[in-house]
Amino acid sequence: MVISMMNERVAELNLGIDMTQEIKQNGPDDSGILDVTYSETVGEYQCKDAKFSTRDVNVYYANNQAIFDVNLDVGRNEVIALIGPSGCGKSTFLRCLNRMNDTIDICRIDGQIHLDGQDIYAKKQDPVLLRARVGMVFQKPNPFPKSIYDNVAYGPRIHGLTKNKAELDDLVEDALIKAGLFDEVKDRLHGPGTGLSGGQQQRLCIARTIAVQPEVILMDEPASALDPIATAKIEELINELKENYTIVIVTHSMQQAARVSQRTAYFHMGRLIEVGDTNQIFTNPRHELTEKYITGRFG
Amino acid sequence: MSDAMKNTAIVKSGLKKRYLKEKIFKSAGIVSIAIAFMFLLVLLTDVITKAIPAFTQTQLTLTVTLDAEDLELNQESSIEDIMAADFRQPIREALRARFDGVTKRNDKKQLYSLVSIGAEYQLRDLVLADPALIGQSITVDFIADDDVDAVIKNAIDRSLPESDRRVKDLKLSWIESMEASGEISTAFNWLFFSAGDSREPELAGIKGAILGSFYTLLVTLALSFPVAVAAAIYLEEFAPKNRFIDFIEININNLAAVPSIVFGLLGLAVFINFFSMPRSAPLIGGIVLSLMTLPTIIIASRSAIKAVPPSLREAALGLGASKMQTVFHHVLPAALPGILTGTIIGMAQALGETAPLLMIGMVAFIVDIPQSIGDPSTVLPIQVFLWADAPERGFLEKTSAAILVLLVFLISMNAIAIKLRKKFEKKW
Repeated sequence: MVISMMNERVAELNLGIDMTQEIKQNGPDDSGILDVTYSETVGEYQCKDAKFSTRDVNVYYANNQAIFDVNLDVGRNEVIALIGPSGCGKSTFLRCLNRMNDTIDICRIDGQIHLDGQDIYAKKQDPVLLRARVGMVFQKPNPFPKSIYDNVAYGPRIHGLTKNKAELDDLVEDALIKAGLFDEVKDRLHGPGTGLSGGQQQRLCIARTIAVQPEVILMDEPASALDPIATAKIEELINELKENYTIVIVTHSMQQAARVSQRTAYFHMGRLIEVGDTNQIFTNPRHELTEKYITGRFG
Repeated sequence: MSDAMKNTAIVKSGLKKRYLKEKIFKSAGIVSIAIAFMFLLVLLTDVITKAIPAFTQTQLTLTVTLDAEDLELNQESSIEDIMAADFRQPIREALRARFDGVTKRNDKKQLYSLVSIGAEYQLRDLVLADPALIGQSITVDFIADDDVDAVIKNAIDRSLPESDRRVKDLKLSWIESMEASGEISTAFNWLFFSAGDSREPELAGIKGAILGSFYTLLVTLALSFPVAVAAAIYLEEFAPKNRFIDFIEININNLAAVPSIVFGLLGLAVFINFFSMPRSAPLIGGIVLSLMTLPTIIIASRSAIKAVPPSLREAALGLGASKMQTVFHHVLPAALPGILTGTIIGMAQALGETAPLLMIGMVAFIVDIPQSIGDPSTVLPIQVFLWADAPERGFLEKTSAAILVLLVFLISMNAIAIKLRKKFEKKW
């Protein structure tokens, strides 16, 4: 029944639009929620002043395609949230933006990803330089097993950002202040970073990222391992950071996306389904799948 | 009866069986531990009880007259003259003076064999240290012969009929007479730790073998540790995943399973025959043992590197660290406890290894204490093998003592491994 309906609709659409693809299911269990035809991203994916712009990005893990033809711009100094059900490819997409996927041997990427108009997958692009410009905060707080000071100072040290100890001290203090952690740790800067609470550790990781003074910060579910109070602090921090940084945040929590971001992109099974102003996405989603997801019918 | 109640009854009826199984398994575990522990206990008790006598030495107190004319020496004699002098005579005279009336040639021979042949060197060393002794009478505790030692330590049963006894009645009477007058004493056997090997059990020491083992392990460590760690880092962090690397991995694992004597044959064929390197030297021993230790350290290091959480690598890479920086600043320090443990286990294995060293001539009888990695020497396990093979009774206790020394080294190495592990282990 469902299949015949789908075939009808595909046939219908085939008359007008060549690009039409039906979403391929990875598992039979998903079939019930996917009897919706996808043609292209709904909403305005382009930005006037794009920091990042991605075109026709496809990502493959060996023979499995994880991302299908994603086109998305990230505006300068905006916070964009990537939402979607588990396994939809939002983290994979995020990791393409600082070439973190390079570390996975079986991962292959094609399409274009430009940062300030330069192709970051170009041969002459150095991933080390790229990652200095595009910082990343991970899902689980992962401070180095070193002191708080050394954690923050590590980035500036390897890049040689400071000339002397005093400058480095200032930089570390500044980063910790910006991450809202300085007052809590100023008496134990040389204590172990792993001795902090989960929320503090995550803010330490953010401070560590800020210390390199990147242009973009990628955040991969930064609050998913934290309790509500720590989460609130992180969200507050993101709101402060957006003055100076472009932030791309992957999140499972729709409330969080609504609270911190200006734009929201909804991913589903490797495809970018809909992108638009956060307000519009949450109040008036244009695509059926987006609506189903934000109203909690699956996820 | 409802379904829930029925299920409860079914679960309840099966509980007894489940607990019984658990109990049986637990007691089987305890029994196996007890058996293993018992074997260990038997081994250790046997070694220790046999080894204890080796740490004491029987001494004969004699008063010798260092007659200047007989020795052809005076206060101003050069070292060469003292070295060349015959110090056997004063000791023999002292023995003849102690037991007068020994005239027959055979009896005299037996009398002289109360002291070790090392006694004359003992006397010579005393004179060398203090030439003023020439012309004086001095009382010295001389090292007793191993037969005297055996009688004193009750290793020879005095109640046996003479025909069945290694020490004959005449000699036994002399020993008993000296024992009664307090001229026989026992002291801690320092010689065991300061001398090299010897044909005479009472003079044989383990220092040569300890130093031989030390130099061999030094070469092994210097060669295998950097090579193995570098190989492990490359294979884990940098190597592309392809068939060639798979082939190398399989072969490293195979290398770990090659019988150690094969490495000895390789050392003989390549290093000694082809490169004409010195025989019996710790240098070759070390090279051969490092071939054998390499796979052990590589495998241990690889699993230690593999166990470093990927989040640590991502954290460093995400900050813009290069691959090299990530590895050397974060991965290696985190993997260090595992690498060190693997290394020490590999070294302990090398310390106990005998077979490959037999092939490269480290089994030779070497009296001199090695001074460098190029000197001929032997190692502890081979010293055990050599002494265990010796016919003299005195070597029996030496064998056990050498095993004990080897065990002490092995246990301390393992203790260091645990200590290092604790020290470098960081929690995250």
